[in-house]
Parts: sequence; C-alpha cells; structure tokens
Amino acid sequence: MLQSQTAILERNTTLSGDFATEPFETGWTREARWFFQILSTEGDPQVELTTQVSPDGLTWVDLDDLRQVSGELTTWPVREYGHWLRIRGTMTGGSVKVRIYLALKS
Amino acid sequence: MTSVDTDSLRAAMRDAIRASDVRLSKYNPLPRILALDDFNEGTNGWTELIGNFNGRGDLDTVDAHMRDFRTPQLSNATFFDTGTHGAMTGTYSLKLATRPYPGHTATAIRRLTMAGRGLVQIEAYLTYKAEAQLGGDAERDQYGDVAWDGNLHPSEAQFGAFTVATDLCGDGGRRYHTVARFQNTDADGNLVRRLSYPVVPEPTPKEHLEGKFALPYAADFTAPDPNDWRYLGDPIEMCFNEVPTKVNWHYVRWLVDTEKRRNVEFQLNDRIIDMSDVPVPVYDEPYESLDNLLNFYFSVRTLSGVRNFLFLDSVVISADW
Repeated sequence: MLQSQTAILERNTTLSGDFATEPFETGWTREARWFFQILSTEGDPQVELTTQVSPDGLTWVDLDDLRQVSGELTTWPVREYGHWLRIRGTMTGGSVKVRIYLALKS
Repeated sequence: MTSVDTDSLRAAMRDAIRASDVRLSKYNPLPRILALDDFNEGTNGWTELIGNFNGRGDLDTVDAHMRDFRTPQLSNATFFDTGTHGAMTGTYSLKLATRPYPGHTATAIRRLTMAGRGLVQIEAYLTYKAEAQLGGDAERDQYGDVAWDGNLHPSEAQFGAFTVATDLCGDGGRRYHTVARFQNTDADGNLVRRLSYPVVPEPTPKEHLEGKFALPYAADFTAPDPNDWRYLGDPIEMCFNEVPTKVNWHYVRWLVDTEKRRNVEFQLNDRIIDMSDVPVPVYDEPYESLDNLLNFYFSVRTLSGVRNFLFLDSVVISADW
C-alpha cells in the first residue's frame, strides 16, 4: 500500500504583498500537487505563484516560473523536488483570503 | 498435582513474545495494545487538531487560537550541516512544527474511544529541537540563559515546551483532560526544564460562543493563563545535545486511570514522577456526542518565535481492559 497525505498549509489566511508558505517535508513522496483556493478577494488582486524547493528547509529557490492565478481554484503538479516544498507568491492591487492544500503521494 | 497460575503464565508469555519483537521490545505496554504507530508507515491517524466550525463550513468561525495548529509532517530529519539524520527506527518520524511566531503551537491528535475503563498508557520515543538559525551577527550566539561556548548552544533556550495530553469523556458526559507538559524555558528564554500541568480545563468553542472568553492567535490553547500552571518535581536534565542538528531520542511513558479519572505517573527517560495527586478538573456541564472519548495529543509551543519541532519516532497506546 502506498502512502498519501494532504496538508492544509494556509486556512482562511488573508495574503497580500510577498508571501511564502511554511516549509513542508516531502522526502517520502514521489509526487505532489498544489491546490490554491481563493475564498474571497479585496480590491483587484493580481496573484503570481511558484513552487520553491530547499536542500535543508532553510534556504529556498524557485522550481519553476511564476504562474498567474485566475478563478477560484488553481492547481499544478510538482515532481523531482527533494525533501521540502513551499509556495512563494507575490500579490499586487489587493488581498486574497485563501486555503492552500498540498496533496502528496509516495 | 501441580496447579498452573494461568494469569501469571499468560503475562509471562506475553512479555516473552513482546521482548522478542524488535518493534515492541523498547516499549512497556499494558496488556492490550490499541495502537503501535511507526511513522515509517504513514501518519497512523495522528492529525492536526482544529477548533470547531459552524454548519456552513466557515472556518472563520473557528476560534483564532485553534485555527492554525499545522499539519504534522513525515520527516527524515534533514539538517543543513550533516544531511539526513533519520529516526530512531528507519528513516521517518512524525514532526510537529510551529510557525516562527512567539506562542504558536503545533499539534498532532489521535482519536479513539474507550471499550472499557481502567489504566491507559501512552509511550513514545521523541526528541525536540528549535530550528537552526543561519546568518546574523554575534547577538545570535546568545539567547536567554544560554550563550554559545563551544558546547552549549543558544538553540536550547529557543525551545519552549512540548505537551502530551488527553481528552476523555464518559460516565454520563463527564469530560476532562489530563495534561503533562515539559516546560523547557519561560517566555524570557530562561531554562525551566520541569514537568508542569494546568489546574483548569481547556477553554472550549462553546464557552467562546457564550462570551466567556475570546483568546487571541497563538494563545496557549491547553490553558491560556500562565498562572493556571503548576510545576511538579525537580528540574529534569535532558539530552538536547548542544546544537539544533543532533537528535537523541527520549523515552516517554505516561499512565492515566479512566476508572478513577486520575493521572498515575509520568516517565521521562530515567525519571519517574508520581502524578496521582495532580488534580484533574472536570467540565461543569455534561457533554453529549463524546461518549467514551479517548483522544491523545502531542503539542509543541515556541516562546522564542524560532520554529520549534517535536519529532515522534513511534508511539504505543495500550490499556488494561
């Protein structure tokens, strides 16, 4: 039986400006998928996100290009990322209240 | 004709079989093992605790101090200086990680029910760390009581507390908690290293709705007023092992009695502390929907604002019913 886990990294959190999620350990997993759910917005926020990886949970680097967020639910897969994952994001023109899910499989 | 003491024989055979099992021989469980949780095999039902939400799933209705206890992580304990540390057994342990925010708590809860009354025991091999700090200036070489001297390391003073606790209910809706906390430091980073317990029950979401309290983010959900905590026993010398990247596993065993609704004793490595006189406050109102509740949780709380971690190699829950 393979293992799986979903982590809720942000829960009804209002984000604005630059932000990063808390580090999450993924060394046991082979695949991951982000779900970035917008619950409400203030203003006209432009949201850009990217996956970041780390060798030690302390120092981080972008894994891919920034992606624009549109609609209620944005999702993307991640592979070959090592032992930690997080999201880095930037927001201009407003704020968003979000839930962020990280779905992991071994 | 020689009579056979079947109870003694059964116990002796059980001890012998368990002693030959490499996973169980490092534990001292009661006769019936309810859970043997090795985190090389997933999270085993240890999940994030959260407060209660309304009928519309609006998580804004969850109490602010119970909304962000963080999902437990399967960790291989990799550090910046030596790479992967691994667990006591195998590669993975369960890691509870706080945010880098003073007072923030991370939790993992295990939800069971009771099929009887009597002794219940939780055992674990665990270790605790503050997150390593990289960069900065010489001020980083001291925190609270501890200055770096080549051996001692300020990281030890940046770890606040870890807790093991229960949430129990039965016998006509009588709900109560038993709580054992290792308080490593106070809010100023002074070393305390003592077992402590609260003398009040945990605040509940219903009490909040009734206007009895409103706690801020990062309040101590177990008992928010520091004056409601008491120390028990002398300071306990632990094996933090100097720097934040060396992991030594500690044995914890905690026995409670659900027949008497009392604590019994707490063991941390070679220290055994009698908890039989520790008060166990019961909620005034009887509870519905919680019959035979048997929950255990571990938590970790940072006071320094540095991320604090509690690693659980494995956990055994056992009972005598």
